[in-house]
Amino acid sequence: MNLDARRNVIISFFILVIGIYLFKLFYMQVVDDTWTLRAQEIAEKRKEIFPPRGVIFDRNGKKIVTNQTYYNLMMVEDSIVDLDTAAFAILIGWTPLEVRNRFKEIVEGEGTYFNKITGKRTPNYQKIRAYPFLKELTLEEMSKIAPHLANFKGFYEEATSARNYPYKSAANILGYLSEVYREEIDVDRFYKPGNNIGRAGIERFYEKELRGIKGIKYIVTSALNNAIESYADGKYDTTARQAAPLKMGMDVELQTYGEELMNKKKGCIVAIEPSTGEIISMISAPSYDPNLLVGKRNISANYPKLARDPNLPLFPRPLQAEYPPGSIFKLVQSLIAMQEGVITANTGFPCDKSLVGCHNHPSARNIAEAIQYSCNPYYYMAVRRVIQQGVKKNNFADAEYGLSKWYKHIRSFGLGETFDTDVSGQRPGLIPNPAFYDKWYGHHAWAFSTIRSISIGQGEVKLTPLQMANIVAIIANKGWYYTPHFVRSIGSKGSLPQFKKKRWTMIDQRYFDPVIEGMRMVVNQDGGTGKQARMEDIIVCGKTGTVQNPHGEDHSVFFAFAPMDKPKIAIAVFVENAGWGGSWAAPIAQLMIEKYIKRKISDKDKEKRMKEAQIAYQNVY
Amino acid sequence: MRKQERLTEYLDWPLFGALIVMLVMGLGTVYSVAFNEDAPSLFNFSEKYGRQLFWIIFSLFLGLLVFLIDSDIYRKFAIPIYLSTLVLLVIVLFMPPVHGARAWIGVGSFGVQPAEFAKISTSLLLAKYISGLTVKQQNTATVLTASSILLIPMVLILLQPDAGTFVVFTSFLFVMYREGLTFDPIILKFINSIPGVRYKETWVGSHFIPILFALVFLSVVTLLLDSVSFTISFFGMDFELSGSYGVIFGLLLLYFISWLLLQRFSTRRERSRMMVVLTLGLLISSAISFGVDTGFDKLRTHQKDRIELFLGLREDPNGDDYNRNRAMAAVGSGGFLGKGYREASVSSVRSNHVPESETDFIFCPFAEEWGFVGVVVLFILYFFILFRIIIIAERQRASFNRIYAYCVAMILFYHFAINIGMNIGFAPVIGIPLPFFSYGGSSMMSFSVMMFILLKLDAQRKEVLR
Repeated sequence: MNLDARRNVIISFFILVIGIYLFKLFYMQVVDDTWTLRAQEIAEKRKEIFPPRGVIFDRNGKKIVTNQTYYNLMMVEDSIVDLDTAAFAILIGWTPLEVRNRFKEIVEGEGTYFNKITGKRTPNYQKIRAYPFLKELTLEEMSKIAPHLANFKGFYEEATSARNYPYKSAANILGYLSEVYREEIDVDRFYKPGNNIGRAGIERFYEKELRGIKGIKYIVTSALNNAIESYADGKYDTTARQAAPLKMGMDVELQTYGEELMNKKKGCIVAIEPSTGEIISMISAPSYDPNLLVGKRNISANYPKLARDPNLPLFPRPLQAEYPPGSIFKLVQSLIAMQEGVITANTGFPCDKSLVGCHNHPSARNIAEAIQYSCNPYYYMAVRRVIQQGVKKNNFADAEYGLSKWYKHIRSFGLGETFDTDVSGQRPGLIPNPAFYDKWYGHHAWAFSTIRSISIGQGEVKLTPLQMANIVAIIANKGWYYTPHFVRSIGSKGSLPQFKKKRWTMIDQRYFDPVIEGMRMVVNQDGGTGKQARMEDIIVCGKTGTVQNPHGEDHSVFFAFAPMDKPKIAIAVFVENAGWGGSWAAPIAQLMIEKYIKRKISDKDKEKRMKEAQIAYQNVY
Repeated sequence: MRKQERLTEYLDWPLFGALIVMLVMGLGTVYSVAFNEDAPSLFNFSEKYGRQLFWIIFSLFLGLLVFLIDSDIYRKFAIPIYLSTLVLLVIVLFMPPVHGARAWIGVGSFGVQPAEFAKISTSLLLAKYISGLTVKQQNTATVLTASSILLIPMVLILLQPDAGTFVVFTSFLFVMYREGLTFDPIILKFINSIPGVRYKETWVGSHFIPILFALVFLSVVTLLLDSVSFTISFFGMDFELSGSYGVIFGLLLLYFISWLLLQRFSTRRERSRMMVVLTLGLLISSAISFGVDTGFDKLRTHQKDRIELFLGLREDPNGDDYNRNRAMAAVGSGGFLGKGYREASVSSVRSNHVPESETDFIFCPFAEEWGFVGVVVLFILYFFILFRIIIIAERQRASFNRIYAYCVAMILFYHFAINIGMNIGFAPVIGIPLPFFSYGGSSMMSFSVMMFILLKLDAQRKEVLR
């Protein structure tokens, strides 16, 4: 037997084993990334440091949104040793079942990761990672738990920050934060499960500007999960940076005051600074304390209550309530009629109640008086001249031509569409154009007589209170406006570019003077409907309105700007089911103007009366 | 002066060079893995790398001593050396246990493991015994005598207990196989006791040892891979298969590669015979792998538990399978090019994720830092050393030298295969060092002495008359 050939057996054996090992090593190291992930899980901790959210200031530098320190009870499953579930449940005031369910919730909430190469699906949840078991505990709550945590290995406290609203107002403007959804995490890797994201209002619109820059620290950890060193000497680490503060055009004191005035009433107030387009205050009544929606526990306790409240505190009235504008539309109609040249400032019309109903007043001899008396027949005739200009022979075609012109003018006031602004949740309202009526009645099947109710702001026309307040601002500016917006400056970068663009209406500046004169007379002349808004030393220009409400008492409406020569504030007040405009809306507007301009109220009785009145508000117990 | 010239003249430089490269790589890895910022000097003897450097220098010094001694004494004194090792192996059983095993003689850090030196003395005695036999003397008695030379130290080592070294001792069976000392006489005795049967030799009997080892290797790998599943995409369909199918898949792949090699390198006559052997081999090993897999499933729970415990197989990555899981994570995270020198995040001593990462699991930091590329380099180096030893073995005039060289090659290969196998899930976790690489004085000294005896024997090969 030739034994020398056996060395080949042994050499083949060497080659075979080395070959198999290399094959396996190639798979482990190069192809399959399971072990890489496992190694990261074992040894590397990517600690993300979230900065506190940016704070928000009002126009006078008052801090309206700040952060408060809260505590999360963190959990690392890998470090848990013989957890006494029952004792732990008692410590945090839960039942053992709730504790177990919370565990399950955390694990399942993480979802899974699918590896395309190996076809393996691995859970995102990692035992070695820290997850918040309880979120946003207050200092008192945590101080009860913390001393006992030494008995529960794997749990520890971690400071975190949550929003705090010292003025307890402007909930509808500021919005709130809530936990991110899984889908949001998939889209934007900034977020980790359990993080908060702006869910409404300013918090949502300026989410990216407010969240700041996340810091990342890479740590190499030991088998005992202790941090040993920063990975690669911190080469890849970044520091967390809090976002620059937002400066709002809002006057938080006025906002708070307005919410007090609207206490136990339904409705809204929108106040705009005409020269800048900044929204000074936007009250949606009834309102609520924004602190009610801070943190997961508060939201789950309070949100359903707010949602069930019959007074609809969550309904953003200034943005979504679409009312027929009523009398304020007469101001716009006057301007369009003059611009179209169908009337002049001195055109008079008799108050012919056979055309449309009106109250008793002398016939208007000019525009100013028409506004002062809010004369319906006057506008019936004026707007008929706009719509039926007699350019086309066919009456219907003529109406189509006239309405098209009217439509272009009215759109230049920013109506019939939402503003491109940082106010989220707007409704566009409705401004009818010929196509709208064609769809309704058929082509060339309608004329002024069909659509006459738009002349006095009734019928198809619908505007939101924000749009109406902007009309007042346009009139105060005599023909232009900046898009109404909340945020004056992001840090020191100024506002968004679209807020810096001056937008002109198609109305010549000179046509505004008679309208403003009419508004002055509404408030300041004896017999004016808005005398409740009169002030001693400031000339307020206003217009009352009564919005017909088919479901009950009419809504009381008042629009105003002041002072007349150098307008600082344009305001629209809606009080639902409060009757005619002069009764409630005008005095509230006056108090708001006085508070804003003079910072103090002279007529305390009036203030008290307004604050205490309860109108169409259902008490909730 | 003349003597000095001859020393270097007959030294096998390729093997010696490869050895030095290996020692430097090992030292570099120990330095990386046990690095202490407060004592960055390699010459700091309070740190592991400093001590490792000391052990390397000391071992090379021992090697020089060995090289100065005439190689004839190994053959002459093989029996006394063997017997004194046995005495040490008995004495060590009365020493206080360290980590649950009575393996050390000595005080504190200056201890030695007799089991390490038992490998050398057993090699020497085995070489002496087998070289004294002629082909005709290969009968039951000689096979049993050779086996007992292995078995006595093996039993003593198992009593310590030291499973790793115990397993390494089975490598001597391959040496017996190479020298034709197989278990055929025993098998023949059984077969020929059947009336009417008269065999002079059996194929199974002559190749009993490699067949046995192929079976053991196959079974262990099948069991180890049993808990792992993988997915194959086939025409857009994904099949999730258990790891034991992976073994069969690997066997098919091997079969195909061997077939290709045969087409290229063998004559036509050989080819048909080899193809039969290959095909039979494939079928039988697939059947065995499958059989082990299903057989294991049918075992009772506690039996399964015992086997799984021995193999270190547990699902819980933080439980019994801790070491293997961590080691595999470290190796697997190395990627193609590795994380870079001194960047091993999982297997550094300080992070302590992989226990014993400077000794038994030293392959982990190496593979993590240098990636697949480094692994290939290391494997080539090891293969070069093994292959070189085989070349040296085959050029010896004296069969004593040849047998001893095969002993060294097989011991090194066993250490290599089991140690790295532990790191990649192919071998149970039994603590044996990676030769010339792992931190540790005993293994460094014993491997060096073993290697330098070989180099010395080789250097003096021409003085020996056939």
